[in-house]
Amino acid sequence: MTAPTLTTEFLKLRRSKVTWLSLLAYATGPSVGALFMWIVRDPERAGQLGLLGTKADLAGLDATWESYFLLLTQISGLGGMILLAVIAAYVFGREYAEGTAKNMLALPVPRYRFALAKLAVVFVWFAGLSIFAIVETVVLGLTLGLSGLSAGTVWGGASDVLIAAGVAFLLVPTVAWVATLGRGYLPPLGFAIFTLVLGNVLGATGWGKWFPWSIVPLFAGVAGPRVETLAPASLVVVVLTFLAGVGATFAQMRYADNQQ
Amino acid sequence: MSADTVISARKLTKRYGDVLAVDRLDLDVRRGEIYGFLGRNGAGKTTTIRMLLGLIHPSKGEVRVLGHLADGGDTGWLGRVGFLVETATAYPNLTVWENLEIQRRLTGSEPDAVRRVIDQLGLDAYADRRAGRLSHGNLQRLALARALLHRPDVLVLDEPTNGLDPAGIVEIRKLLRSIADEHGVTVFMSSHILPEVAHLADRVGVIGGGRLLEELSRKELFERARTLVESKYTEEQRAEALLSMQLERYFLQVTGGVA
Repeated sequence: MTAPTLTTEFLKLRRSKVTWLSLLAYATGPSVGALFMWIVRDPERAGQLGLLGTKADLAGLDATWESYFLLLTQISGLGGMILLAVIAAYVFGREYAEGTAKNMLALPVPRYRFALAKLAVVFVWFAGLSIFAIVETVVLGLTLGLSGLSAGTVWGGASDVLIAAGVAFLLVPTVAWVATLGRGYLPPLGFAIFTLVLGNVLGATGWGKWFPWSIVPLFAGVAGPRVETLAPASLVVVVLTFLAGVGATFAQMRYADNQQ
Repeated sequence: MSADTVISARKLTKRYGDVLAVDRLDLDVRRGEIYGFLGRNGAGKTTTIRMLLGLIHPSKGEVRVLGHLADGGDTGWLGRVGFLVETATAYPNLTVWENLEIQRRLTGSEPDAVRRVIDQLGLDAYADRRAGRLSHGNLQRLALARALLHRPDVLVLDEPTNGLDPAGIVEIRKLLRSIADEHGVTVFMSSHILPEVAHLADRVGVIGGGRLLEELSRKELFERARTLVESKYTEEQRAEALLSMQLERYFLQVTGGVA
């Protein structure tokens, strides 16, 4: 991938509201988690807060670093899959929605480079958000004075968040392919919601570890009992899904008619 | 394809289901000429231009530009082609300058290329304005600036004066003429407005129903028009046409355009 293709893809984000909105949305995860921690630390307050307190109580949480990070993995695991789809839909779909695909695809640049550069942008963007969420979690956790603080707990919790983010990223090329196929924002978003629902349903069955979109929910523990270590088969499945998505996106940009 | 031929289409056909958008089109555009591609809306002009840039694939036949097959595979030759396809578009969140900077970097153009085309297209006052806040005419200028930025050998322009006011149209005509005359750039431009093509093109191809119906030199085109005017129009109708031309000149003078 040549540098100009990558730098221009980043330049396209300048003044974009979506970057700030994604940060705001993702920053909500640790804040909501912190709110839950604050509530469960004091059951009386939980009772006074009605439904929110009941929900926090039902979740069986305790106000510890371990619980806080588990909650973050759950929130950012599912929320992250949706947010990644929004980011990928924006980065790929905007070229069609804003009518600039025809300008981009008739440039003296091999088309696969645009696809790779866009995937790199999504990766950097989401990695930045994930790191921000971890830092925010640590700051809020320290502010709340949660119990059970140790380097191992923080490292383990942060690793889980990053693993969930990494697996979710490997599913991005399929969303990118749907964005180029559907030439806009809505088809990839529809696809992401459909696969997320399906992933949660199949995650509750024994087939979850074979279905790419069930793996993050299983790892986060939101689709049945939590799978703390990903099975090699699951990793192979997501890597194959990644490669298939990249190949399909390349082929779509190279061989399909690029109308708008 | 001879060395003098820059664009060559052979039996170029595009079918969308039952609709035949372009039908066995044969076309040769020579180096340094301005070729007007004239047709009504839906005649197949834009589809032809999209195939010419490799944006869509022919159902049958082929098109070559500068000797390269336009099929979306090898894209290196597109560095010698400037283009404007259908509606002018740009990244709305970026300024005029930033939009052009993207083109500059991706075409490997010289550092001052953006400044040059901004001056050339009269976009100086809008350089820092976001493309999403430009008028349609200025967005069209931006698209033309992007097409010219990397000093292409061939310009493929789909209705280049779309959205421009009469003064802007005259200005762009002059610019394209000078680019063709002074730099030997080949221009392939489509339009559905006959006078626009007649004022600029060296040769005109008339397309209808996806087929090339007729090819004429500018001289032949004017002779046909003269014959038509003399045989079919009354004195009153001719006077009316003359008056309408004078009104346009008056408008150009008042608004600071060149009449």
